[in-house]
Amino acid sequence: MSLPSQTSSRKRSSGWRPSQQNEAYLFLLPSLIGFALFVLVPIVGAFVLSFFKWNLISPAQFIGLDNYQQLLFQDAVFRKVLANTFVYAVSIVPLQLISGLIMAVALNQGIRGLELYRLIYFMPVITNIVAVAIVFQWLLNRDFGVANAWVWQLAEATGWPIAPPDWLNSSFWAKPAVIILTLWKNIGFTMVIYLAALQGVPESLYDASKVDGASGLQRFRFVTIPMVSATTFFLVVIQMIGAFQLFAEPFVMTRGGPAQASLTIVMYIYQNAFEFGRMGKATALAWILFAIIFVFTLIQTRLQRRWVHYETGD
Amino acid sequence: MKRWLFVATLVFSFVFSLSLAQTTVTWAMWGSPEEIATHQAVADAFMASHPDINIEIWSQPWGDYFTKIQTLWASGDSSVIPDVMFLSPVVNYAADGVLENLDPYIEASNYPIDDYWPGLLEFGMYDGHVYGFPRDIGLEVLYYNKDIFDEAGVDYPDETWTWDDLTAAAEKLTDVSSSGRVNRYALGMEGGKYQLWIGQNKGSILDDMRNPSRCTLADPEAMDAIKFFADMMNNNYAMRDANLGQAGGDAAVFQSGQVAMIIQNASRISAFNAAGMNYDVAVVPIPEGGQRSASAAGAAWTMSSFSDDKEAAWTFLSWLQSTDGGQAIYTSSGEILPALQSTAKSDAFMGASDTPSNRMAFITEGENAKVGRAGFFPEWNELSGSIISPALQAIWSGEATPEDALPALCESVDAFLAQNGYPK
Repeated sequence: MSLPSQTSSRKRSSGWRPSQQNEAYLFLLPSLIGFALFVLVPIVGAFVLSFFKWNLISPAQFIGLDNYQQLLFQDAVFRKVLANTFVYAVSIVPLQLISGLIMAVALNQGIRGLELYRLIYFMPVITNIVAVAIVFQWLLNRDFGVANAWVWQLAEATGWPIAPPDWLNSSFWAKPAVIILTLWKNIGFTMVIYLAALQGVPESLYDASKVDGASGLQRFRFVTIPMVSATTFFLVVIQMIGAFQLFAEPFVMTRGGPAQASLTIVMYIYQNAFEFGRMGKATALAWILFAIIFVFTLIQTRLQRRWVHYETGD
Repeated sequence: MKRWLFVATLVFSFVFSLSLAQTTVTWAMWGSPEEIATHQAVADAFMASHPDINIEIWSQPWGDYFTKIQTLWASGDSSVIPDVMFLSPVVNYAADGVLENLDPYIEASNYPIDDYWPGLLEFGMYDGHVYGFPRDIGLEVLYYNKDIFDEAGVDYPDETWTWDDLTAAAEKLTDVSSSGRVNRYALGMEGGKYQLWIGQNKGSILDDMRNPSRCTLADPEAMDAIKFFADMMNNNYAMRDANLGQAGGDAAVFQSGQVAMIIQNASRISAFNAAGMNYDVAVVPIPEGGQRSASAAGAAWTMSSFSDDKEAAWTFLSWLQSTDGGQAIYTSSGEILPALQSTAKSDAFMGASDTPSNRMAFITEGENAKVGRAGFFPEWNELSGSIISPALQAIWSGEATPEDALPALCESVDAFLAQNGYPK
């Protein structure tokens, strides 16, 4: 009884006959095959591999949960890279959001040469990370780098016993160095997204708050921030994922050193897979990373109900 | 009559083409475009003297080479797996059975294995059998900038120099501002070459580099050697390892005059000569009562066990590793110290260029070369990359002392060895 009515309702709503639906799937097929072949199969394959010991050359050997057990309970390096990655994530994400938003608001003031500034700030985003990281290595060199040059000059001129950071040779400063590079590289992206969001904030809200006597800072706090919160949520999620997957910046600039002080989870995956011949352990690590990112994203989706406003202000 | 002629021509050309039938040997290596050009010249020279064998080069940049070749092996398809491959370290691959044991070929053709530098062939061995021939020996000598030595009024280093002489010279060669900024370091040496000092002081990394049972880095010989190297850095005599890497490596800082000496292999000679540097080389100073201990190691030519024509592959391999064949061509290109002593002592190496004038330093180090820079077991990369190097980096950065760090390091190393079932 209910079956025909369902069919008819579907037909009414979509305007597609069942035979046409098959055609629709036919058109989707190329991209579905692509997805299955290059995404789904490798994901499933990686999951299966994570229960094996395999060095890419000799036959794989089933070892059950050993890879996971070893990583979670025995591997001291895993704990170190996990801690490093968390430090990166909790520093890079907020710093990037705050500075990106400030820059977007500043550029949204209708200043002259706006396009030029946007271009300048967005340039690092599309610049090759390897080239950038090598330039940063030079900038941060202890004795000959530009970043330290003024401190040395000050020390020589005044005779004060001050020494600038030995950036990439110090297990303390290596992480800030990577964070600075990552921020420099990615702030432009945050800024552009925020700029777009700011266009969507209706002028009437600012006018109304002005009439109510709100100061500039208050308008920023009570109008701008809530009105771009949906964008903020989007940025938090994708930047958190990006920060957990940090690889190229430390890989080129510090090689994870000194003494693994800047090593990240993804770098450790790479090392295990291609340097140590531990493919199974690497895939297990990748799945653990997936679980971490999944949980964090889930928490954020839950928390967003408390602070994200989806009104468009129409 | 015409038809008869036609058939005869057909038969003749068929037979003729059979006799010309070539075997193709696929030859794999990594390298820069310039290095690949040298390899191609070697292949051309071989094909000129062996018309029945065609050499096909398969090359990749260093970063991709090993992962790509591993995926080829994983495919198991002999038509795509290269027949002769450049590999390092050989032991990892030999243990997996993808390489051909060369012993039978060596025996059958009386191949002169005694011509290799002492210890060098061990680098191509696994389980007592030869699986690869190192192309060259990557041993280091001391390069020194004569201009800086003259300016600082320091005598040039010679074979009588000890660690004390090196330290004394370093003190004069180092230039530090009142602020603590170093304008010039005496020495640039990669932290990863630390084993050179340990070997000179008659110590070792592990008690047995093939089948280890314990870490010996905390033993007095190794401890003193690491202290010596760490003190060089802590006194600003040697550029710290991480800073050296950042500044573009030892060759770059040597060329720019930011360091007065580096410890490096023969591969930089052509670059320094092209830059017109005023430099020479010397043997590396040794401790009082110590020994010369250059590292006998080098990437090796190996034969695939999947190869379809192993005789042809051996013909090529043995020609490649002969003074009349590949060795001389590589040596003349000025990039290597050849694996064969006869090639090294020939004019191809000794007379390759006027600078450095003291090429005997390479020969002296070669004759005293020893194994010990790296382990000859499959887990070495992991042990070194994830346990030993990070702990030593903490020493090179000045954040840990050898006395504190080495005993703790050895505990981790011993635990790793036990976990992986060593000694076997």
